[in-house]
Amino acid sequence: MILLQQYSGIKIRKILYIFLFFFVVSTARSQDSTLTVISHRKGAPPEMKMSELISVFLGEKERWSDGTKITIVLMKTTTPVGKETCRKVYARTGNSVLQYWNLQSFAGKTQLPMMFNSTDELEAFVAQNPGAIGIIDKASSIPETKTVMIGGKKYF
Amino acid sequence: MLKGKTFSTRGAIITFCLGLSLSSFSQRTSIRGFMDVFASYQDKKTSFGLGEQDLFITSELNDRLTFLGETVFKFSPNSPTQFDVSIERVVIKYNITGNHNLLFGKHHTPINYWNDTYHHGRVYFPTIERPLLFSSQMIPLHTTGFSLQGHDLGAIKFGYDLMFGNGIGSGEVKDNDKYKSLTVAIHIKPADRLRIGASYYHDNISPGATVHGTINKWKVNQSLISGSIAYFGNKVELLTESTLAINTTDTTGSQTSIGTYLYAGIKATEKFIPYIRIDNLHYQEEEVFYHNDNTTSFVGGFRYQINYLAVVKLEYQYQQSAMEGNLNKVTVQFAIGF
Repeated sequence: MILLQQYSGIKIRKILYIFLFFFVVSTARSQDSTLTVISHRKGAPPEMKMSELISVFLGEKERWSDGTKITIVLMKTTTPVGKETCRKVYARTGNSVLQYWNLQSFAGKTQLPMMFNSTDELEAFVAQNPGAIGIIDKASSIPETKTVMIGGKKYF
Repeated sequence: MLKGKTFSTRGAIITFCLGLSLSSFSQRTSIRGFMDVFASYQDKKTSFGLGEQDLFITSELNDRLTFLGETVFKFSPNSPTQFDVSIERVVIKYNITGNHNLLFGKHHTPINYWNDTYHHGRVYFPTIERPLLFSSQMIPLHTTGFSLQGHDLGAIKFGYDLMFGNGIGSGEVKDNDKYKSLTVAIHIKPADRLRIGASYYHDNISPGATVHGTINKWKVNQSLISGSIAYFGNKVELLTESTLAINTTDTTGSQTSIGTYLYAGIKATEKFIPYIRIDNLHYQEEEVFYHNDNTTSFVGGFRYQINYLAVVKLEYQYQQSAMEGNLNKVTVQFAIGF
């Protein structure tokens, strides 16, 4: 009876370790998710600092150095990429980011960014609009777009 | 096979989106709105009321030209329908270069942070109503004319507004006198979510002009000097603004009045923000341009942000006013954007 109890105790512990392992791995994977910046071929520079990227995505810059108007393109704040963008670029919650943009637009400072549900839609929009810049979770596959390096890296 | 199918589906989505974006980008127009309802308890009586209904339109006509319009429908006891329509802002903006713009139309005078930021969207107001600086009409809320505007220039994110307009007492289509109003406003944003600003406003108000609901009897040379500090951080919110008004007439000389308010809020959670606001209006005795109602007010309450488009505020206000006596009032407001 005692042996049986010891055996089941060891088994339960093993199962717990396995669950713990998978939990740690999955958590690590979710924290590892990376973002990449894509833009239309015309407009954005090939490389930017993180502080410059934040400034652009706060709507603080109206035109690229070649004169092309900047159009900000975001994934919706409820999507995983959108949530990650809010955390890494805006250091705000999704609700705060939407409030920020609505207030900027209401004050007449800037237009609302374009927002999409899927990265395919976002890529397609960027490809069609000179000056557009967006954030997704993978390198773009459309020839009209390019990847903008952030601090010398493709992903951040 | 599966890979090929996935690719072709993705290709079809992209092609569809390309077509959609091509057809919709030529002109981006957005129509939105704001409104609020409230209930108040004052003098042992509860009242329910409608706030303003605000129609807000923006349109991007091309990559340099944009339009902004804000029209308010609000209660007006003198109107046959008890409601009036008021054009609050009509602005055509032309981007000259970089972050420099030329604006024509009817503007909210960029004299301070509140007037330049919140406009008529009560869902964005940190408190239920505007500070007393506004209701006392110490500052000109609107200017019809043109302005040069720049923003986020250099490392300290310098911004400026240089505005010329018809001035106080004028209508929207014609100036009542030969004098033009001048507004010079500057601000910096030295840190994230912090804005420090200052402005100077000057106008000559002619005798006969209708100002503050009455006919002005004297020629008034008005100078307004304003300063503001605004910080809306993750934990703390702080907004304080002051205006020093110097009104000069031939008979009374220069009279100085000061209007100030301080708002402070703490984000207890992302949605729940308790706050206070203290207002003070002080007029020099021989001031002839204002109503000279020396007033001090305390507001304490909280804001519950359901989301970025729906906010409930509950507030207690105690006000001491030289002309109107004391006021004790509790108000709850539900403001939305749509």
